[in-house]
Amino acid sequence: MSSAILEVENLNTWFYTRRGIVKAVNGMNYSLYAGECLCLVGESGCGKSVSALSLLRLFDSPPGKIVQGRVLYNGTDLVACSPDRLRAVRGKDIAMVFQNAQSALNPVFTVGDQMMEQIKAHDGLDRNDVLTKAKMLLEEMRIPGAARALKMYPHQMSGGMKQRAMIAMSLSCDPKILIADEPTTSVDVTIRAQIMHILKDLKARRNMSIIFITHDLSLVSEIGDRAAVVYAGKVVETATVTNIMNNPSHPYTSGLISCLPDISSGMKRLPSIPGNTPNPLNMPAGCPFHPRCSKAMEICRRVEPGLVHIADDHTVACHLYGPGAGGSR
Amino acid sequence: MRNYLVKRILYSIIIAWGILTVTFILLRVGPSSPVDRYILNIAARGQDIESVKQAIEARYGLDKPIYQQYFDYMGNLLQGNWGWSFSSSVPVMDLIGSHWIYSFQLILLSTIVAILLGIGLGILSAVKQNTRFDYAASIFSFIGISIPGFWLGLMLIMVFGVHLGWFKTYYDTSYPIWSLENLRQLILPVITLSIGELAGYVRYTRSSMLDNMRKEFVTTARAKGLPERVVIGKHVLSNAMLPLVTIIMFDLGSVVFGGAYLTEIVFGIPGLGQVSFNAIFANDYAVVVAVTLIGTFLVLFINLATDILYTYIDPRIRYD
Repeated sequence: MSSAILEVENLNTWFYTRRGIVKAVNGMNYSLYAGECLCLVGESGCGKSVSALSLLRLFDSPPGKIVQGRVLYNGTDLVACSPDRLRAVRGKDIAMVFQNAQSALNPVFTVGDQMMEQIKAHDGLDRNDVLTKAKMLLEEMRIPGAARALKMYPHQMSGGMKQRAMIAMSLSCDPKILIADEPTTSVDVTIRAQIMHILKDLKARRNMSIIFITHDLSLVSEIGDRAAVVYAGKVVETATVTNIMNNPSHPYTSGLISCLPDISSGMKRLPSIPGNTPNPLNMPAGCPFHPRCSKAMEICRRVEPGLVHIADDHTVACHLYGPGAGGSR
Repeated sequence: MRNYLVKRILYSIIIAWGILTVTFILLRVGPSSPVDRYILNIAARGQDIESVKQAIEARYGLDKPIYQQYFDYMGNLLQGNWGWSFSSSVPVMDLIGSHWIYSFQLILLSTIVAILLGIGLGILSAVKQNTRFDYAASIFSFIGISIPGFWLGLMLIMVFGVHLGWFKTYYDTSYPIWSLENLRQLILPVITLSIGELAGYVRYTRSSMLDNMRKEFVTTARAKGLPERVVIGKHVLSNAMLPLVTIIMFDLGSVVFGGAYLTEIVFGIPGLGQVSFNAIFANDYAVVVAVTLIGTFLVLFINLATDILYTYIDPRIRYD
């Protein structure tokens, strides 16, 4: 694998609410390599979306604030750089596809207008070239009648068309990195298959790096090269998707994978991980997963485990594998 | 769209006819007669009041039964004859023709000031939410909403006209209507008439902007790398304007009927408000009905214009 194109180092995004500090992203670490698809996997509310928004500082601020950490892209720290520098990266080098195209597109402007304003903001193309480019992108997304679709308002499009238009828009400046935040949650299974196909296709043809955020492990094995499992605002395990699926090392990851229905195992009740995700206002001490963990030890209650390498490109944050824990596999 | 328009215009005509009829009847069933003003003058000269009154009433058809008078009036109106003003002794049409421009100018200027300043301050307030500027704008708008226009008018005349002497305390009709001198003497009336609307628009704009600033498409706009000026000025504002258009157009009706008339009376501006104010006291029904009718048509037209405007600014709405 080539060198990292994006590095997230000890990222902390906290929300200062009236009821207390919500540490939505609490020491997040991961790297994205050129041309790969990294999946951020986790339950709802684990901080995976906020961590994606944090890369481009797109969360509401106030109340949100990055209190610590770095996001290194091309030698620039996106956390500390000037707003103008950040704006040049947004949409141009790093583009985002949001969960719900229905609300992520502006209802009072045509899709073409919304695509073209982005191209105009970054590339000094003249009007005709901008129009041609927008049309080409829609065609690339296999939207029928691209010229007509440009003049359509979001409400005139079907859900699948909107999501594809949204992806076309994100590609309008040929980004190096695409962040797809649960792009298939709000569409039905047929459209989901289409979208996944488009994303896989894009990765192959454009050699783009993708950060794919999802809670659906089946999508991870479909599109991902590597996966980072997120729990309580931090990465608890990173590895190649094959390794994660076949050799999950963190008890949380194995729990998630054992929850997947398996058609060959016959009829039996699906297992589940006991308990709920911890209250972000009141995180448990030590390892945040210990109250739900079947392998919890005394040390898990007191000391938060750091990430350790257990194999090539396989890191885990768990005391089972810590130095001196005797838990080497 | 065309069917919709035809239907709306037909409704407007029916509503206008209803208002006309009610106004006519209310004014004519009262105990006093439109000719009473004449009579007072004649009585002063020592002539026989009753016989003169009957003669005048017979001449203008005021001795006929009320329904007959109503049909006569309607018949004339349909032929473009708006009737005779007893108190001014001129055709109603001429009276309105020479006074409408004063009202129109006052309403136009006040509306422009209220919209531009109100929306501008509202946007700034939303962008600078919870800063000193925002608090100052809030306090200003609460005061503006609470002050009655006629009281503010009198206070302005007292402070800036009487004590400071910056403005005349009466309205001078000798200037050409669009001359700088005339516009200068409209400053206080425009402040008086626009302050309530302006203050309201600041509040509405602010809350509508804040609502829309939290929408997902705003995050999208930022994620696309658009400058903040475009994010706020295009993506947020265009959505925030939708409810504002309704409010502003609705307000115009109350400016036309309420505020402008009172303001004219306080500042002595000879517009339609002043004309109808005098006509009501003189029981000059043809004038009152005519002015009421013009106001009615204006409000109905504004409502229709709002609906049509909406189809342009909100693509989700199309009348089919």
